[in-house]
Amino acid sequence: MTSNVIGVLLEDKALSLEELARACAVEPDWVVQRVQTGVLLHDGPPPGQLTAWRFTSLDLVRARRLREIESVFDANADLAALVVDLSEEVARLRRRLHVLGAD
Amino acid sequence: MDYKDYYKELGVEKTASEADIKKAYRKLVRKYHPDVSKEPDADKRTKELNEAYGVLGDVEKRAAYDELGRQPNAQGGQGGSFRPPPNWGSGYESSSADDSDFFADLFAHVGGRGRANSQFQMQGEDSHAAIEVSLHDIYHGAKRTIVMRVPEADGQGRVVTRERTLEVTIPKGVTEGQQLRMKGQGQPGSGGAPAGDLYLEIRFQNDARYKVEGRDVFETVPVTPWEAALGGSIDVPTPSGTVSVTVPPNSQTGRKLRLKGRGIPSAQPGDLYLLLEVVLPPANDAKARELYETMAREMAFNPRQKLGA
Repeated sequence: MTSNVIGVLLEDKALSLEELARACAVEPDWVVQRVQTGVLLHDGPPPGQLTAWRFTSLDLVRARRLREIESVFDANADLAALVVDLSEEVARLRRRLHVLGAD
Repeated sequence: MDYKDYYKELGVEKTASEADIKKAYRKLVRKYHPDVSKEPDADKRTKELNEAYGVLGDVEKRAAYDELGRQPNAQGGQGGSFRPPPNWGSGYESSSADDSDFFADLFAHVGGRGRANSQFQMQGEDSHAAIEVSLHDIYHGAKRTIVMRVPEADGQGRVVTRERTLEVTIPKGVTEGQQLRMKGQGQPGSGGAPAGDLYLEIRFQNDARYKVEGRDVFETVPVTPWEAALGGSIDVPTPSGTVSVTVPPNSQTGRKLRLKGRGIPSAQPGDLYLLLEVVLPPANDAKARELYETMAREMAFNPRQKLGA
């Protein structure tokens, strides 16, 4: 049996703190710590209650990568953040090379 | 289903310690990490390694897997398959959308009974997978069929894996890396709790003609030397249909023409960039040679002048 499902882009309906935590299989506190240190939600915690925080696709991908690096390599949060930053930069440069036909 | 030798995947003995397994996994996952590996099958290998470590790195799951390995038909080589004993085990986690059939079936069976009979209520886990879309899909939207293997309770309260087919609507204008969330399409909950959600990451299929960066699209357009030199109107096929474009006179290879708003559609659409590439007609007959010889004789043109030649 086939079910028709319509997905919602996270850019149209962003995740709450609890939803992001569940999608990454972590406790909400894990997310809060990484927002407060500027690793997630790049511009720092937005004003207002934690319940007002909203996370889009970029945050979800980044949070899952952070959790993966932290758990696989027993890395501390800052080191994992550095690895994820570098990894995103590599991906950005590779896309640029591809567009320039230099890959 | 075929038995998968997770110990072999990680290159360790069946008697390996937890520390040895972790060490082997870390070494291999670094080697095959898609961000750094040059191996053509790095993505696939990383998934296999993650699946193997997901089992062998967890004491409970490893014990269940080892028990499975002792079944008579478990490791029969080419024809090897396994039939998990009914009502076997409890308390194991279920699989995610990225795992193999073997993994899904293994943990549906070993995890099934305890969860199905439990009074404990717990929302199902979220699942994650990726879906590749073409540039045509991005411009026009699309429907895609995906098949998931998910554990479900049967009539006797046991959990078995069933295939679930989803027809997913891909909205027009998605970009690389965006996540589509499908509520309630993840792993089933226990004790009547709701299912988790399914997240699909959008990945672009490589396209021979177009390149994409953010919402901007780049297309190389071959032009003749006279179109480039004299300018004029040319028809160019683009992802949103053929458009008539004016080539400015004295254009060279590499000139970029911007078609505003013809990139990836959205409330703020990207732009389409046409990169001109001047293509010379071959001098392979007398007439063509004569034309080139006339140009050589009558045009004072030295492209190496700036080099001092």
